[in-house]
Amino acid sequence: MGARIMLENISNGKTIKHEDTLLSVHDIRKSFARNQVLKGINLDVSEGEVLALIGGNGAGKSTLMKIIMCIYRQDTGDIYVGGKKVTSSKPLDAMELGMYLVPQEPMLFPNMSVEENIIVGFSEKPGELHKRLVDLLKQLGWEMDLSRKALTLSIAEQQLVELLRGLLRNAKLLILDEPTSALTFNEVESLFKIINDLKKKNIGIIYITHRLEEVFEIATNVAIMRDGIITLNGPVKDFTREMLVQGLLPPDVKENKQAFKSKLPDYKNLKPIFSLKDFSGYGFKNICFDVYPGEILGLAGVVGAGRTELATTIFGKDSVLGGKAYLGMEDITGMSTAKVIENGINYVPEDRRQDGIFKIGDIALNTSCGSLKKLGKFFMNFKVEKQFTDKYINDLHIKVTGQDQLIGSLSGGNQQKVVIARILATNPKLIILDEPTRGIDASARGDVYTIINKLKDQGFSVLLISSDMEEIVQLSDRVITMFQGCINHTFQKADINQNNLMSAAFGVYEDKKEGAKI
Amino acid sequence: MNTIKKFINRRECTSIIFLIALYVIVGLINPTFIQSDNIMLCLNGATVYTICAIGMAFVIFTGEIDASIGATLGLSAAVVATMVRDGKPFTLTVLVAVCIGLVIGLINGFGVAVLKVPSIIMTIGINSIVRGISYVYTGGAWVENVPKNFKELSQQGIAGLSWMYIGTIIIMIAIYMFLAKTKRGRYFQAVGDNEDGATHLGLPVTGTHLISFVICAVCASLASVVFVSRIGFVTPTSGNGYEMKAIAACVIGGISLSGGIGNMVGATFGALIMASISRILVFLGFSSNYDNTITGILLITIVVFDAVMQHRNTEKARRERLSARTETVAESKVVGGNM
Amino acid sequence: MKEKLKKFYSKFKFHWEYFLVMFIIIEVIVFGTMNPKFLMPRVLFGSFNDFISICIIAVFMCFVFITGGIDLQAGSIVGLTSIVIGVLWKTLGISIGAACMIAIIIGCLCGALSGFFIAFTNVQPMVITLGGSFLYSGLAIAVSNMSNTAAYLGISGFPEYFTAFTKKRFFGVIPSQVLIFIALAVIAYIILHRTKYGREVFLCGINRRAAEFSGINTKLIVMSTYIFSGMAASFAGIVMTSYLGSSKSDFGSDLTMPIITAVILGGTSTLGGKGGVVGSALAAVVIGIMRFGLSMNGVSNQYLDIPVGAMLVIVVAASTASKNEKINAFMHRHLTFKHKLTDK
Repeated sequence: MGARIMLENISNGKTIKHEDTLLSVHDIRKSFARNQVLKGINLDVSEGEVLALIGGNGAGKSTLMKIIMCIYRQDTGDIYVGGKKVTSSKPLDAMELGMYLVPQEPMLFPNMSVEENIIVGFSEKPGELHKRLVDLLKQLGWEMDLSRKALTLSIAEQQLVELLRGLLRNAKLLILDEPTSALTFNEVESLFKIINDLKKKNIGIIYITHRLEEVFEIATNVAIMRDGIITLNGPVKDFTREMLVQGLLPPDVKENKQAFKSKLPDYKNLKPIFSLKDFSGYGFKNICFDVYPGEILGLAGVVGAGRTELATTIFGKDSVLGGKAYLGMEDITGMSTAKVIENGINYVPEDRRQDGIFKIGDIALNTSCGSLKKLGKFFMNFKVEKQFTDKYINDLHIKVTGQDQLIGSLSGGNQQKVVIARILATNPKLIILDEPTRGIDASARGDVYTIINKLKDQGFSVLLISSDMEEIVQLSDRVITMFQGCINHTFQKADINQNNLMSAAFGVYEDKKEGAKI
Repeated sequence: MNTIKKFINRRECTSIIFLIALYVIVGLINPTFIQSDNIMLCLNGATVYTICAIGMAFVIFTGEIDASIGATLGLSAAVVATMVRDGKPFTLTVLVAVCIGLVIGLINGFGVAVLKVPSIIMTIGINSIVRGISYVYTGGAWVENVPKNFKELSQQGIAGLSWMYIGTIIIMIAIYMFLAKTKRGRYFQAVGDNEDGATHLGLPVTGTHLISFVICAVCASLASVVFVSRIGFVTPTSGNGYEMKAIAACVIGGISLSGGIGNMVGATFGALIMASISRILVFLGFSSNYDNTITGILLITIVVFDAVMQHRNTEKARRERLSARTETVAESKVVGGNM
Repeated sequence: MKEKLKKFYSKFKFHWEYFLVMFIIIEVIVFGTMNPKFLMPRVLFGSFNDFISICIIAVFMCFVFITGGIDLQAGSIVGLTSIVIGVLWKTLGISIGAACMIAIIIGCLCGALSGFFIAFTNVQPMVITLGGSFLYSGLAIAVSNMSNTAAYLGISGFPEYFTAFTKKRFFGVIPSQVLIFIALAVIAYIILHRTKYGREVFLCGINRRAAEFSGINTKLIVMSTYIFSGMAASFAGIVMTSYLGSSKSDFGSDLTMPIITAVILGGTSTLGGKGGVVGSALAAVVIGIMRFGLSMNGVSNQYLDIPVGAMLVIVVAASTASKNEKINAFMHRHLTFKHKLTDK
């Protein structure tokens, strides 16, 4: 227990003594069925440290966190908390050891009050806990109405409640899982202020994020996970953005800087195929832009800027509060989803798993579901269905064992291709893609980019919504950035670079050229 | 003023108002209805429903459903009636009844909480099995000749109000305090409100589900003791449909089927409303056959109203959140300051 | 070893319908051995008359389950249909054919009412159809009070041609009810598995949000499944009234459980998205034959629900337990532990 154990940290050769660190994991491996998710993870977190943990989807971050919190059990490897080895499969034990996981989506009890949400699960008397909670709030300098019902809280407020749950448990180690993904810009700033407060109290934090900018702003150390291993680990000051990006890419794929050789559309002589005039809805205001045939228009912004809300409202899934939307000559403002699709707009949803795929359905079902009208008047024409599913499997190079394979067993990239196939099958004039490569590995990503460019060459119009700035830079002919629900800048091809886009997305872009607008 | 508004917004209040309005209206039509001895009769008549509703409230509160209490009540009633008829001591009889409820509740709980069978399916299946068992037990015959002193137990009371009903109310209040104030009591609401959230916090979700089913079944078997005492005989179909009545009582009393909303007081008033409706129909000269129709209409109306309100609230909250995003920087509140 | 088991299990599930057919054959053999009269074609096919309602309603109610819903009111609609026919014919003098038509429309309306609330107001299907079952059985009683006969007697004295069509036997063996059932099952099959509408039903069940993003009007689809269910209940009511020659408001009151059992046993998941007409039809036959076989062998009617209820619970428990990660992990550890022992 008190013995000093030296640990070789594989990534950069440092040796670490367990007992000085809050948390130390050593050679953690975990497989689910035949899928090896964690292939030997070594990590340490010390007091007052903010360890940013970066990694794409499927890298194994949440599995690692669940193992640390004793929700899952590792196959091999050890966990040391404060120098003591931990073996348990009950989350309660992890919490008792002083660790708390603030989930990405706060898991509160909507019909219980804030106070009840925080103190549920404790063994002390509610009276004592109330006193401790009030003291804690005073210490932190926060004001909070403890009697509010949790369902009235905003996401940021809910996150605070989760944080309080951890702090009231005297957590020494907090794990924040993508805490800013649902926050507005101001809320992010507030959160960083809180994290700095916690740092000063010597609380250790594991900060999971996919946003490199945040790493440099708030973290003291950074570790990058890719495919179940740690590829990079060390103090933030030792790294640059490029080094971090390199750590994220698999070794055999170079950062794809090849610009696809495609022509810019002839803006002077073409009429827009899609226009928004002062379009307002829930989450966005006074949006005006045009999309031209054969162009890829990037729509950039941080999460919460209102891009997805804009897309879904155009698509008929929410009410229009003002303004107009035109597809060609048709006024499609406020039309239902079915009519919008009929008129020629289709949308690849942001959340593939929840809104995009029919998980227990096969490939044919998933491909044809948007164009059932084409398959015959009343009865399903299975032959036609099979034919055009085959066509798309070939065109888009979807790796399947057969049309009857269930889509749930395909990789993320292939699933996305099926969703794209379904969209294409409706012959849209405008295709709206929302985070098309989220959760997809690099090689499938390249495939999707090729598909997008082919669409452009064939004369389709693409509205590309993405939080991946590189993606937007690579593919777009023009870029619009949204900030807090409004468009704040439009960029022509020459001005499209990650710096400009990033600044605009965060609302800090300074336009050096006056009056250069479209 | 604020506290009064809060009180009025509570669902239980709506059902209380409805109940009072009901009695007032009927009283206006037929004044004998609101005479104290009639009201006492209504209350006493609601005892069985109330006990069943309280048990069912536990299960619904945790987000599940129990469609088997009718059969549990029937089997337990048959056993109780037989034992009492054969002269077995009262305490033993009650104990046996509780054991029956315990076993059935454990089986239900095991299937739902451990094997993850959907509760509607599990309890529908168990309902048939237990109903069949009670046929086997009674041989398909009625159980009659319940001793007079046993039947009189349900008549004894104070000022016309039976001890059984009073006892039920006292226990209900105790349960209400347990659920609202104690640490373990909060688990039920937590599990029903957000089961994933409860798991995330390490709360004993499986145990909570199990206990809720056990309590529900035990309540049904305790209710059967009252049933036998009040009715005096047991038929092979006794108890049929009581689960529906109990669910309706809970829903009318403000307990949401999705879990996490409502409390025991509401269930009690709901049961009172259900029981009153049959008497009212008789009083107003209608055939008691319309009992089911009225219950059905009531159930549908309340549930639809409830769902529409909830949907409206969540939509409103969502839209407010989205609209907040388009506020300018200066206007947004800084989190960590005033909330 | 676990691989083999997994493969075997997946094949097993895939051909669930074959398993049901096998089960029917086993039932016939077992009951036939216990009582040779069972095997007589006249008797065997005649048994269908007892459980035909379950079969008819099950093949259409699976539509509801596939969209993730449940329907507890079908039993009440059967009774309502029956009494409506009786009262319309006897008290109002409307011809039987027209009365049946009206009854079917009423059945569809009952389904539509509940379906409307379920689809457009986000209420839980279980509660609405529960309320509906109360409401419609109450309405049935109200209607029966419009006639002058006491409720427990029922209305009878229907014309010969009405009661005959369910008693006819083709080739002297196969009752017309079997043919009615097969015809309805085929129609249900075509609707669910061969039309665009049926495909949309599946899509709504597998992932309603994705279906909406695909432009499908999920609300109408969900509502329509309840209309089909109500319509099937009306058909069953007509058949039952004809066969028993009597019109009673409480027909079908005990059918809810067997129907749901048939649908679930037939491979339809309560979560939606999976299932089919063939499975439901076969499962309904499984349950019907089991009940009939047991009663032929001396088990009285009231005990028949025990094996059916047990089947429901066991089948669903086995199905959900096999998908349960914790249980799988437990089994896995148990098996590998044994392996380790033998290795050493």
